Amino acid sequence: MIHFTSVSKFYDTDIVLKDISLTINKGELAFVTGPSGVGKTTLLKLIYCAERPDEGEIVVAGWDLKKIKQSAIPFLRRNVGIVFQDFRLLANKTVSENVALALRIHDMHPHEIKEHVSEVLKEVKLKHKESTYPYHLSGGEQQRVVIARAMVSKPAVLLADEPTGNLDTETSETIMNLFKEINARGTTVLIATHNDALFHGTGRRVIYLKEAQIEREVVG
Amino acid sequence: MRILIYAAATALKSLWHEKWINLLAVLSISIGLLIISAFLTISQNLDSVLKRWSKDFGLIVYLNEGLNRETEDILRDFFQHDSDLASVKYISKDQALQDLRKIMGKQSLALEVFENNPLPASFELTLKRELLNPVLVERKAAEIRHLTGVEDVQYGEKWLSSLSTLANTMKVSAIFLGSAIFIAIAFITYSTIKIFFYRRKDEIETLKLLGATRTFIRLPFLLEGLLIGLLASIVSSLGLFGIYSLIMNKISEFLPSINIIMTPLPIKTYFPAILAGTFMSFIGSIIAVGKIRY
Ligand SMILES: Nc1ncnc2c1ncn2[C@@H]1O[C@H](COP(=O)(O)OP(=O)(O)OP(=O)(O)O)[C@@H](O)[C@H]1O
Ligand SMILES: [Mg+2]
Repeated sequence: MIHFTSVSKFYDTDIVLKDISLTINKGELAFVTGPSGVGKTTLLKLIYCAERPDEGEIVVAGWDLKKIKQSAIPFLRRNVGIVFQDFRLLANKTVSENVALALRIHDMHPHEIKEHVSEVLKEVKLKHKESTYPYHLSGGEQQRVVIARAMVSKPAVLLADEPTGNLDTETSETIMNLFKEINARGTTVLIATHNDALFHGTGRRVIYLKEAQIEREVVG
Repeated sequence: MRILIYAAATALKSLWHEKWINLLAVLSISIGLLIISAFLTISQNLDSVLKRWSKDFGLIVYLNEGLNRETEDILRDFFQHDSDLASVKYISKDQALQDLRKIMGKQSLALEVFENNPLPASFELTLKRELLNPVLVERKAAEIRHLTGVEDVQYGEKWLSSLSTLANTMKVSAIFLGSAIFIAIAFITYSTIKIFFYRRKDEIETLKLLGATRTFIRLPFLLEGLLIGLLASIVSSLGLFGIYSLIMNKISEFLPSINIIMTPLPIKTYFPAILAGTFMSFIGSIIAVGKIRY
């Protein structure tokens, strides 16, 4: 589903990722970890084409990102649900409107949108907050809205960047369970985190980044 | 189709949400359109005055005293074959005297002091309308003046030239002013939409990351620009109609003949003007949104 072949990424002259080769298979749930500033977010950005590699090749859900046209990028992104590290919720839209946006973009019928949104909000246990604006929500609730928005379009790939950033253990667990459910339905999930507790005892693949390179891979 | 409905809803929402900036843009544009239409109206009215007046416009060719019949016939023949002329009318000495008597009425007795008829015979020529401009008329008069048997040629040169110069000046300045105003209209919408675009920069970035196409992102802004142009057209149309009716009413109170001279509202020229205004507003918003890169 996601293939990196000898990928390098520079910001100006600083090397962030160096000669990364990596394959995430269809239906897998994997973690990327490493210290802050190591390049986890950058790795995810390369997958949804928010950054372009300076060297190497990336193929995501069949799209060759080296050759992809500007006009095709939106269609790549429709296959990739993203849980952003900085949430990116629209302040002037309610919870349900924020989630609905992901489907509006797909040109889905309003009735269907309503149904899907209502369903996914139930799953993240936020149905009762659907008419609330993001700034009236707690951090954990906002996090769940972002997850709802990322999964509502049933993407082939779900990328989660630090999805439990500053949440307590209990809430983190709830959110982790959500990802497992999504993954169980066939979505490939890649989670970037520096929270060891998130992957300990999961039995899933954990990729350690260190000094711009893959240091090791372990089973969590 | 759904994308269009969504874009229209977004545009309308933004139009209302940012109503003060939008109002400012709409009013500025309508003032521009009103100025253009004022110019169009005035120059159209001048044209109509010029046309009405020039219908009766003629050259009077006075003939030499005691000209023989033959030369007169040659001249008449010459005029009748001149394709520049719309009509040729011969006025004999006797006819001229009769006309003068009629005009003078009772005072015509004064004419009895003349032993012989003092009036010259003449031709009254009217020029084809398309040739009615000062330069051509003057050239024609000079040409005729040189013919054998012609004493003098008279025409209303001063009137003709000043009126038509005015009309031409109006037309030229309308073109310059019009272009300047149309550019200004595009610029007004450009800056308005640019402000909205920058205000929603974060939102646009998020939409892009969620997989929105360029059209999806652009359309609401373009529609809003179009709506600003349309609203301005409506406002300026109402304004023009109001001002025009007011002037017509006020003036015709003490100058009833104004109704004959003034043309009705120049819808035919005004309509393309507001369409062009709306179009320029749309262009402004296209430039403001610019190229979207992923
Ligand atoms: N747009 C950018 N321009 C220049 N440098 C950048 C840019 N984005 C990230 N960097 C740098 O690249 C490095 C990797 O950043 P990245 O955000 O990928 O780290 P991270 O592993 O996600 O960190 P964290 O765990 O704190 O989120 C950092 O040193 C950062 O300063
Ligand atoms: Mg990060």
